[in-house]
Amino acid sequence: MALLYGLIWRLLLALVRIKRATVSWLRVRLRTWKGRFWQRTMAALLLPVPVAEFKQKKADANQSSDGDGDGKGAGSRPSRWISDGISLEKLPVHIGLVVAEEELSYTDIANMVVWCMAVGVSYVSVYDHHGIFQKNNSSLQEEIVKQQHHLLGGDDSTFNMELLKNGTDKPQHFVVSCRPIVKVLSPEDGKHSIVQAARKLCHSVEKKEWSSKDISVSVLDVLLRESKNIPDPELVVKFGAVNSTLGFLPWHIRLTEFVSLPSHKNVSYEDLFGALQHYSACHQRLGQ
Amino acid sequence: MSWIREGELNLLEKISANILMAGPMPKHVAFIMDGNRRFALKKKLERHDGHMQGFNKLAETLRWCKHLNIPEVTVYAFSIENFKRSKEEVDGLLDLARQKFERLLEEQENLEKHGVCIRVLGDLNMLPLDLQEVIAKAVVMTKNHNKCFLNVCFAYTSRYEITNAVREMAWGVEQGLIKASDVSEALLSECLYSSNSPNPDLLIRTSGEVRLSDFLLWQTSHSCLVFQSVLWPEYSFWNLCEAIVQYQLNHKSIQKARELHREEQALQQLEADCACIAEHLQHQGNGKPADAQRRQEALQHYTVAREERVQDFLQALKHKRDTFFTNLCSETVLT
Repeated sequence: MALLYGLIWRLLLALVRIKRATVSWLRVRLRTWKGRFWQRTMAALLLPVPVAEFKQKKADANQSSDGDGDGKGAGSRPSRWISDGISLEKLPVHIGLVVAEEELSYTDIANMVVWCMAVGVSYVSVYDHHGIFQKNNSSLQEEIVKQQHHLLGGDDSTFNMELLKNGTDKPQHFVVSCRPIVKVLSPEDGKHSIVQAARKLCHSVEKKEWSSKDISVSVLDVLLRESKNIPDPELVVKFGAVNSTLGFLPWHIRLTEFVSLPSHKNVSYEDLFGALQHYSACHQRLGQ
Repeated sequence: MSWIREGELNLLEKISANILMAGPMPKHVAFIMDGNRRFALKKKLERHDGHMQGFNKLAETLRWCKHLNIPEVTVYAFSIENFKRSKEEVDGLLDLARQKFERLLEEQENLEKHGVCIRVLGDLNMLPLDLQEVIAKAVVMTKNHNKCFLNVCFAYTSRYEITNAVREMAWGVEQGLIKASDVSEALLSECLYSSNSPNPDLLIRTSGEVRLSDFLLWQTSHSCLVFQSVLWPEYSFWNLCEAIVQYQLNHKSIQKARELHREEQALQQLEADCACIAEHLQHQGNGKPADAQRRQEALQHYTVAREERVQDFLQALKHKRDTFFTNLCSETVLT
């Protein structure tokens, strides 16, 4: 009997995995198909269509069928992205991109970062639980600059690329000209940071500078922001099939909204915008 | 209505449970029971009735967990943020809690029969004294039961919990029980309210919200998170099965991530110990570098001494916490 249940269980999981893969495949197909379908229909029907609308649809089709952006229609896209950001009821100040996949694509993450900035997000964190992005931060930085030129035409000022590294006391960063900030995080910035802050407080207590009663939520909060200086992420876009935060900034994600995308490979602007729309629509009661 | 529901699963439920149990099952499930007020609005009931239905659903869910061999459940019953609600609603919720915990005390025999251990996690001194006392009685009454565990987070937020753990470690330093350099991820975990439980394998939030709302942020860093759109009072056995299937799909990758994190943690502890040794030997050796063997011996001694200090500190902490509850119980005896 146990054997039978075991077999049925394996079948059940296989069916769920197939369904998931099918939905994922259809999502990508429909996106590219929609663009070509529209073009073919237009060609076949030869209906008079408002030129502006067709141009817009064409830009969509180009973008969705060509995720990296090959420069076509690059002029219209940045302004569209800005207007998209303005059109949302609320935009997150800080977005976390959590990549829960084994194979990482620097180009796709760089695209996501550039789109986030273009839409008006001030802080973007990039995280993977192996710490690979942090180890190869220079490659990621290069890729972001490259995609920035690709997608935005190279007019915009370069972004500040700040690396989150433990132990170094970086001077406070003042955002003078509203340049967006990219932070590359690893598990060390999560629980380990909290432990370091706790050790620091306990050292102060050991030296009789502080008493244990002085330790409050706000004291710990300030300490956890000191070397990092980032607001809490309002939105985390998680890539990959793993349903877990995998150690991403535990202290900072108490009110963060989570949106999952199946993969960061070949991710499109529409995927990001969908996540932003979801964030915009959510209503936080904050306990009330 | 009772906390303990008797009754078997029906045939279809039993078969489904057996199928699921052929795969890896979560040993500890946490629930954010969200949606009581929206349910009340939907059914045109009073908010209070929505919360009552929510409690009934909790009792039913515990029954399902028992049949699915899930021995530990943690629930988010009342957040510190919820004190911001209207006085009427807060008083209503505290009254409901009072009723339910008093009911629990009447079910002592049943709880003993099923071996249910009730723990209440939170900043309990924020609650009215009489509620603290009845909670203390329930906790003390069931503390030696060990078949299944229900952790109720009441007057709780994760940030308060983490801060309290840091404060306890600072207290340990003040008392001379531990050194500041003994502070580690493992020690912090032992100082949380949830220190008697393993980390949740699965966290389920109902009503469609996709955030953690300051619940078990430390403990769920490597848990499977499942967000379901059903409102809590409408939660069904099938919703629970769906969440468990999600857990099973994620099981291997999450286990791998947990293992990686454990290895990193061990490495960090080793590095911290070595740093302490290096400092110590530098002072002793007057600038001369110590040989590898001496370093190794010193490391072993240091690690053993550190672990002893930590154990003594944790014993003292446990005693402090037990005393808090027993004092509350004896206060009721005196009044």
